[in-house]
Amino acid sequence: MTEPSGKRILVIDDANLVRRFYRDALEHAGFQVDEALNGVEALEKVLGAAYDLIVVDVNMPQMDGFTFLETLRRQAPPVSSLPALVISTEAAAHDAAAARAAGANFYLVKPVGQELLVEHVSIMCGLPT
Amino acid sequence: MPLVRRPSLPSESPAAPAGSITEGTSEQRWAAARAAAAQPDGVALLAKALSQERDPLVLEAIFTGLAAAATAESAAAVVPFIRSEEARLRAGALDALRAMPEASRPHIGSLLADPDADVRLLSCELVRGLPEAEANRLLIDLLDGETDKNVVAAAVEVLAEIGRPEALPVLVLCSQRFVGEPFLAFSIKVATDRIGDP
Amino acid sequence: MTEPPEVSEEEFRRTCDFLYRRSGMLFTEGKRYYVQRRIAERMAALKIAAFTTYFAFLRSDADGEIEKFINAFTVNETYFYREEHQLRCLSSDLLNERVGSKRPGQALRIWSVPCSTGEEPYSIGMWLLENWPDVDAQDIEILGSDIDTECVNAARRGEFGLRALMRLTPDLVAKYFVPSGKERWRIVDDLRQSVQFTKVNLIDSAETRRHGVFDVIFCRNVLIYFDDTSRRLAAENLFECLAPGGFICLGHTESMSRISPLFEVRRFADAIVYQRPQGGARD
Repeated sequence: MTEPSGKRILVIDDANLVRRFYRDALEHAGFQVDEALNGVEALEKVLGAAYDLIVVDVNMPQMDGFTFLETLRRQAPPVSSLPALVISTEAAAHDAAAARAAGANFYLVKPVGQELLVEHVSIMCGLPT
Repeated sequence: MPLVRRPSLPSESPAAPAGSITEGTSEQRWAAARAAAAQPDGVALLAKALSQERDPLVLEAIFTGLAAAATAESAAAVVPFIRSEEARLRAGALDALRAMPEASRPHIGSLLADPDADVRLLSCELVRGLPEAEANRLLIDLLDGETDKNVVAAAVEVLAEIGRPEALPVLVLCSQRFVGEPFLAFSIKVATDRIGDP
Repeated sequence: MTEPPEVSEEEFRRTCDFLYRRSGMLFTEGKRYYVQRRIAERMAALKIAAFTTYFAFLRSDADGEIEKFINAFTVNETYFYREEHQLRCLSSDLLNERVGSKRPGQALRIWSVPCSTGEEPYSIGMWLLENWPDVDAQDIEILGSDIDTECVNAARRGEFGLRALMRLTPDLVAKYFVPSGKERWRIVDDLRQSVQFTKVNLIDSAETRRHGVFDVIFCRNVLIYFDDTSRRLAAENLFECLAPGGFICLGHTESMSRISPLFEVRRFADAIVYQRPQGGARD
């Protein structure tokens, strides 16, 4: 286990195993991790605690990742400017473009291994890699 | 005491006669979508509106109306939206199909065989609602020949909840087919452990 | 006495995941002990030794098992000032925000649904009389509704036993109740006549519409018992019964996140509540 980074990450994905995989990888790299199962639950979380980064899936029940990001960007600062890493299965250009339009800061295509995830999260949190 | 005493309910104006689901303000379309379910051609009206509607609240009401109808026709109207380019519509369609499991059931086999990997992936979620034996059979068949990593991941996610011992051989097969993919290795291990841990 | 079976972290997570997906109940890490204990209790009661067997039983909802499982968390029994933090939120934030959108003389309307035998709507009345500084300046209507007409009739009578009063100070009991037989107390007439009771089925839009439009709705621990379609219909009916900008409060283990995307989340100092957006559409 690495030194705690002091950074708090919210992982949003409806798939239980995906959340566990990201959580294990990020905690191992010293991040503090919370989970949400869809966009509505994620909104409840970000309004209640200070996060440094959001890792979010696109296809989720109730509120998809893009609708979540659009809603997030309409909140009051600092919540509205939370950096977001979108990780989705669709490599199709329209999803990457939609992610940018919705306010994603970075986009990765699933499946994502531990190293790639930790590397991107670290960079986006301004940590040395 | 400052609380108001009221002997009877306020006489509410009856719901305005339903207009067209595809015309008027979003409030009017919402009201029409909500009222459609009670009309004889309601499903057809909702199905037509689904392809044109952009307002997320009205869309939600349309999906609810179709889910509540829970007929072969209403499920058939929702199914194509699983392949929408818009994440919001995909999510809405999937939620609606999940809410009408019996009506969705005849579609699941062909959705799992769809040439589009994203459709197969999302359809794994519909399998979760089926009886265990049937769900296992469908997912085993899917995994047997599946080449898309993310579809495999979605199927394994469902097997981690409802998997039975008969799914173990195909999980072994998948772990061999996707060597070097850390997330799949992890998922398959969790699912296998759960199934093998009576 | 046999020890209840051990329930592992893994089994806890699987159960939470399933219950969330099925009911919208969200069990956080803080509830872990209770969930694990409940699994063990149900397994013992059913004489099931293996978690996998119990989990399959729960999934199939055989013999109403899901309801039996979650009943332990919603506690059918109600009492005065239950979930006080929501009442505090009502008087310190929600009503103040709603007052701004009222025309002069237009009443603030509050709905307690389901209201069971009336503890909640009477609590709302008492709480506001005691804690909301604006209470004398505003007209407030309180309505309680339940699908069970026996509950509605009992609520109208307004008679309660000792257990229902356990959270109230003696001052409050003396002020708002009169003794009514052995260990029974009746709500004072003034308050009793200020709360109106009706029968309602939340998934019947014709019935919900008759109740008009509200500023705040308390809807605790009922949506979790509905299936997906009923939950969607109920959420849309509740949405229509709220004024734009009106609020809805759910039970403490419930999350709207599995119930409906129609509402926006608002976090206040004392509670998370959901709000009907001001405009017609979300965006």
